[in-house]
Amino acid sequence: MTTASAPRPAGWRMIDIVVAAVLAVAFGVAFLAWNALYNWTTPLFAAVPAAQAVMYGVWLLPGVLVGLVVRRPGAALFGGFVAAAVSAFLGSQWGLDVLLSGLIQGAGAELGFALFLYRGWHLPAAVLGGVLAGAGAAIHDIVVYYPDAGPEFKIAFAAFVVLSGAVLGGVGAWLLARALARRGVLAAFESGRDQRRI
Amino acid sequence: MKLLTPVVPDRSAPLGAANPLAKLVAALLLMVALFASLDGVTAGMILVVLLGLLPVSGVSPGALLGRSWLVLFAAVSVAVINTLLAPAQLGPTLLEAGPIRIGADTALNGLALGVRLLAIALAGLLALATTDPVDLADALMQHWRVSPRFALGALAALRLLPSFAVEWQTIGLARRARGINAGRSPVAWLRLMGGRLLSLLVGGVRRATRMAVAMEARGLGSRPCRSAARPQPMRAADWAWIAGALLLAVGAVAVSMLIGTWRPLVGG
Repeated sequence: MTTASAPRPAGWRMIDIVVAAVLAVAFGVAFLAWNALYNWTTPLFAAVPAAQAVMYGVWLLPGVLVGLVVRRPGAALFGGFVAAAVSAFLGSQWGLDVLLSGLIQGAGAELGFALFLYRGWHLPAAVLGGVLAGAGAAIHDIVVYYPDAGPEFKIAFAAFVVLSGAVLGGVGAWLLARALARRGVLAAFESGRDQRRI
Repeated sequence: MKLLTPVVPDRSAPLGAANPLAKLVAALLLMVALFASLDGVTAGMILVVLLGLLPVSGVSPGALLGRSWLVLFAAVSVAVINTLLAPAQLGPTLLEAGPIRIGADTALNGLALGVRLLAIALAGLLALATTDPVDLADALMQHWRVSPRFALGALAALRLLPSFAVEWQTIGLARRARGINAGRSPVAWLRLMGGRLLSLLVGGVRRATRMAVAMEARGLGSRPCRSAARPQPMRAADWAWIAGALLLAVGAVAVSMLIGTWRPLVGG
């Protein structure tokens, strides 16, 4: 293990890959429950169907979280994609389209960190990642699921997805990453070191 | 948790024996055609052919339905939302209740979108349910030059799935035993779920750290070349699946265009 002041090795270490994948797999499991919950609660949103998108952010969480924990270019994309792949293999009702969603959402989160030049791993970067992941997800979903709905629905849906991405995906991932660091399990990562009080 | 036991693909079935990447590409070709067309004729034709493939998939329809019946809900809700919230109700009045009027053409379009979603989902389900993740990782490394460290790292993480499912239940039971209960408040429920998820993640990261050390100690990825233990060749039959999917995608769109029902995603 390198010390915090040592220069970061160029490529991904094995531990970066496995921890990123394991976090994503855990979320793949959580997605199954969330997918079912999303379907069961659909009638509750009968009056304003677009508002159901407030639940969307959980699907955007793994990309942002893996980015925050692993802190490497490509981590958010990898996390979002693996979580989607796991969910697809376990039999998500959306089939292969989940992979596409996962790629788009992961890419959105990745872009958020890239815009901070992979130097900012703080709350604003996480929220930006969540917002951009939400924006990508909204575009994908409108094309695939709601092409015929009116513009009011499309705008409201996109707004709810982005908002949920910012709150659940961005702030949620940041809180989880901080909580993980506090439990001391991220000792092998830079993300586990800045939190330590001296 | 029945959902967490992956459907075991039957390797002797034609679709189960096909190269995972061939199936993936074939499903993607169909999905592109389905994304681009909004009409029920294109989607319906593809859906019928996919349903016809069920017997050769090696997956029992019951098992497939058991995992994916929720998509029927999604298809219905997509059909309803696209019908009710359309900017204009077209065609003769089908139903009139107070301020709400539903036009027959709009309802038909909504229904078509539901069918389209079913076809999109089934294309992917057939490709994935008949594929073993191990085969997919092997094929990705052999044909698409995916880095073995990433492919095998993801595969190692995937292996933890069953224990994650058990752990999730254990954490829930432990919390219940300590009397932690959300009552009826959804906010408290969400907080509790967050805590439960965190416990799962903490355990997962600990295990991942140990696994990574073990994999590295065994020399994974330390040499540039590695041989394949389980070759995943592209056979003639695999190319035939891709060609067949391309033919179906183009054919369905062409037929729909010829009879004048095709409705493109953009510029319709």
